[in-house]
Amino acid sequence: LLLRAARPLLAGVGRGAALGTAPSTALSTAPPPEKKRWLRAYQELQRLQAPPQRRSEKPNWDYHAEIQAFSHRLQENFALDLLKTAFVNPCYIESEEARRRQLGLDKDAVALQLQDNTGLAERGLRFARTYLAQCFEGAYPELPAKGIEALVNFLTSQELVSYVAQNLSVQDLALCRDFPAPPDVLQRTFLAVIGALLESSGPERTGIFVRDFFIPQLIGKDLFEIWEVVNPMGLLLEELTKRNISAPEPRITRQLGVSTVLPVYFVGLYCDKKILAEGPGETLLAAEEEAARVALRKLYGYTENRRPWDYSKPKQGLAAEKAISSN
Amino acid sequence: RYVRQLQRLQLLFSPTAADARGAREFVEEAAQDFARQHPDVVLYVSPHAGPGPAPVLRAEYLNGTVRDELIASKTSEEIVQLATKLASQSGLDIIRIRKPFHTDNPSIQGQWHPLTNKPSILTVQGPRLQPQ
Repeated sequence: LLLRAARPLLAGVGRGAALGTAPSTALSTAPPPEKKRWLRAYQELQRLQAPPQRRSEKPNWDYHAEIQAFSHRLQENFALDLLKTAFVNPCYIESEEARRRQLGLDKDAVALQLQDNTGLAERGLRFARTYLAQCFEGAYPELPAKGIEALVNFLTSQELVSYVAQNLSVQDLALCRDFPAPPDVLQRTFLAVIGALLESSGPERTGIFVRDFFIPQLIGKDLFEIWEVVNPMGLLLEELTKRNISAPEPRITRQLGVSTVLPVYFVGLYCDKKILAEGPGETLLAAEEEAARVALRKLYGYTENRRPWDYSKPKQGLAAEKAISSN
Repeated sequence: RYVRQLQRLQLLFSPTAADARGAREFVEEAAQDFARQHPDVVLYVSPHAGPGPAPVLRAEYLNGTVRDELIASKTSEEIVQLATKLASQSGLDIIRIRKPFHTDNPSIQGQWHPLTNKPSILTVQGPRLQPQ
């Protein structure tokens, strides 16, 4: 028993040993006859240098079972045919038709009876954008429209959506022409999955799904990392005039190492002699800009010590009605 | 929400080998219950005829890690326990944890820097104001 357990896990070794000792009767079902022992190192090298293959081309793959497991993994009830359509990409349909035409099939057989996921993807993208915009308008009422747009663009960008899709095994299930699937294909597939969920379960559950998978990507991110603001001081002046507060006066609060290579200046912004915000910087200009950014973060309520996002069950009806009416 | 990190389990064993007895009993008795309790894990059972490699349970995770566990000469209950252990793991590498503690908020009131308790330049130092 010990000897058998200590065998290596390669199939070739065992079969090679068996061929040497007794004639094997399983030759009809076995893979092509194994090479000799002295070629095994070369075979191993070939195996390691082989190009990566899709999971669907490796042994042990059942598409229907994988799709069912996918829907259970996300704890959602999908209509399975909608979900299967969501994974079909237009590049896959084109490549399949080209392959069938090359094999010389009739015109009827060439046309595949598969639908694209472009419609579902568009619907999913629209719903995700409107839902996320509503979430942010509710959570950060002071944030201007450009800021909300920047946040929503970041959350529906290619890199983020393809990263989320990769870690949910969408790249195994998606049918597309190239392997590994490029990020825009993954983004389209994941948005189509959201569209399919919208059709099967309705806007409320899809809203909870979008909230659960997209909003945690904002954890640890600063507002101005996502939203590029060229002139924070100008933006701050606009915000203060909207609230009828006088223009801020910058003053140096602290400074360290002025005559060295690495000085640190803390510049404070004072409105009517009351402190608004204080920010550090290497030069006076940089410190003033940083102070303006800190002031904007405080005004928009996007500081690091704000309340974390509320993931509890939403109130019935409100969010769904808004989403339906905007669609 | 919680997403189980185990994608699929492949049970590769031989129908005649002596050390795969536990695997065969698992397939006969406990595999269906396991599959029903974990609907988000796809269980593939692939017996390969004739003498072959040792029976192995291959687990694939969502981040791409593939883990092989030998189930030679294990009983059916042990295989069930092993499978549930694999189902609750994530696909991260099993390495030594350097520190058993981690905190996202290393400082509550703000980390000390050389300027924390220094008064600012703008504070006017003068004689105490007389009470009105």
